[in-house]
Amino acid sequence: MTDHQWTELTAPYALGALDPEERARFETHLADCAVCRAEVRSLKEVAVLLAESAPAATPPASLRDRVLREASRVRPIGARRPGRAPWLAAAACLVLALGLGYAYLRERAERERTVQSLAASRDTIAARDSLVATLLSPDAGTAALAATGQAPSARVTWSPSRHRVVMAVFRLPPAPVGRTYQLWAIAKGKPVSIGVFNTSPDGRLVAEMPLPVDLKFELTAVTEEPAGGSPQPTQTPFLVGKVSPAD
Amino acid sequence: MRKNRTDANFEAVPDDQQVKAGVPDRALVERMAAGEERALGALYDRHGGMAYALALAIVREGADAEEVVADAFGQVWRSATQYDAGRGSVAGWLATITRTRALDLVRARGRRTRAVERAARADPDGLATPLGTPADRADRQIERHEARRLVTRSLAELPEPQRRVIELAYFGGLSQTEIADELQEPLGTVKTRMRAGMEKLRGSLAPLLVGGSS
Repeated sequence: MTDHQWTELTAPYALGALDPEERARFETHLADCAVCRAEVRSLKEVAVLLAESAPAATPPASLRDRVLREASRVRPIGARRPGRAPWLAAAACLVLALGLGYAYLRERAERERTVQSLAASRDTIAARDSLVATLLSPDAGTAALAATGQAPSARVTWSPSRHRVVMAVFRLPPAPVGRTYQLWAIAKGKPVSIGVFNTSPDGRLVAEMPLPVDLKFELTAVTEEPAGGSPQPTQTPFLVGKVSPAD
Repeated sequence: MRKNRTDANFEAVPDDQQVKAGVPDRALVERMAAGEERALGALYDRHGGMAYALALAIVREGADAEEVVADAFGQVWRSATQYDAGRGSVAGWLATITRTRALDLVRARGRRTRAVERAARADPDGLATPLGTPADRADRQIERHEARRLVTRSLAELPEPQRRVIELAYFGGLSQTEIADELQEPLGTVKTRMRAGMEKLRGSLAPLLVGGSS
């Protein structure tokens, strides 16, 4: 379909007048066409106003009571706090309400925790997936970085095809307040910043960072820099590693 | 312009009557999301007439329309926490829910909508014939009155064939193909009329549209 043909579908879509298959195809298109999405949003506003053209009619007075009566039987989904019931009814229901309220609050808190931890897990898994993909990519190169004294060590693995670097650091105490660690790639003697990082209190870190496209480098190095990182290293690297590319 | 009372003012007014004035619809929905039934009552007082009129324009009997409205407000109440102001007005949200419920009810009963009945009889007045007495009463309804008037007039000003296909889609719940069958017109004609009619409406209803055409 040409773009022009798609825009023909915006009006019937806004009115809900597309046949199911046509609607499905158009919705697929909508997902990546901002122009049609804007058009649909605007035409839906028009469609919604058509409700106002319905011939005026007065609902029976009893309908208001019915609406309120039916609502009083259920609470809004995930209501943020319980409603204010008339005090007599509230008193009469106190014992029950306490029990239900407690169960409800506990259940709600539980659900919120679940939703949050689910989102967090999803992020963690996505990050982990990407990290593993970089480590396992066929073109992965590695560099072991050793300190010039003892303690800390690091291993850097990168994939030119994925433009990603995975950095694993061991036994490196977190940078002092206001300072950060910065990873560099040394290309033809010139340092290029890969990213800043810090370790956890146990001195470890595994993190993925973006790798500039087409960057060829011979060395990787780590320096300690002011928070936010520096454009160029301000001190001699305390961790340096020579590149051993995958063949 | 509507004066928006702040939440703090609203909080300070205990009287039921006061809920109705000034408070934006959006604030009512927030209160509903907090479980406040009084806010639902206020929302009903504002938009119950519109919802009922809309339901009645789709279903054919008052009892069915009442059921639709009770269901629709029930859904609005239950899902008040999910209302997203970025996706349109509260009235629009309620109208969309009401329309969907009304069309579902008609389909579930294997009936035809009132709009389709009228179209089948080639009623030249379309839906514009009043079916009851005006629901609006107090002067706070003036804004709503003006909106109604503009929408009704804009629709009435459309060429009759364009108005009919739009009404059959919105109030009749018919697809373009079904409309073509119903009117025994070529599908291409129906498509052209629908698009042209909606474009004209967008122009004449511009004062009521928030998002504009961009």
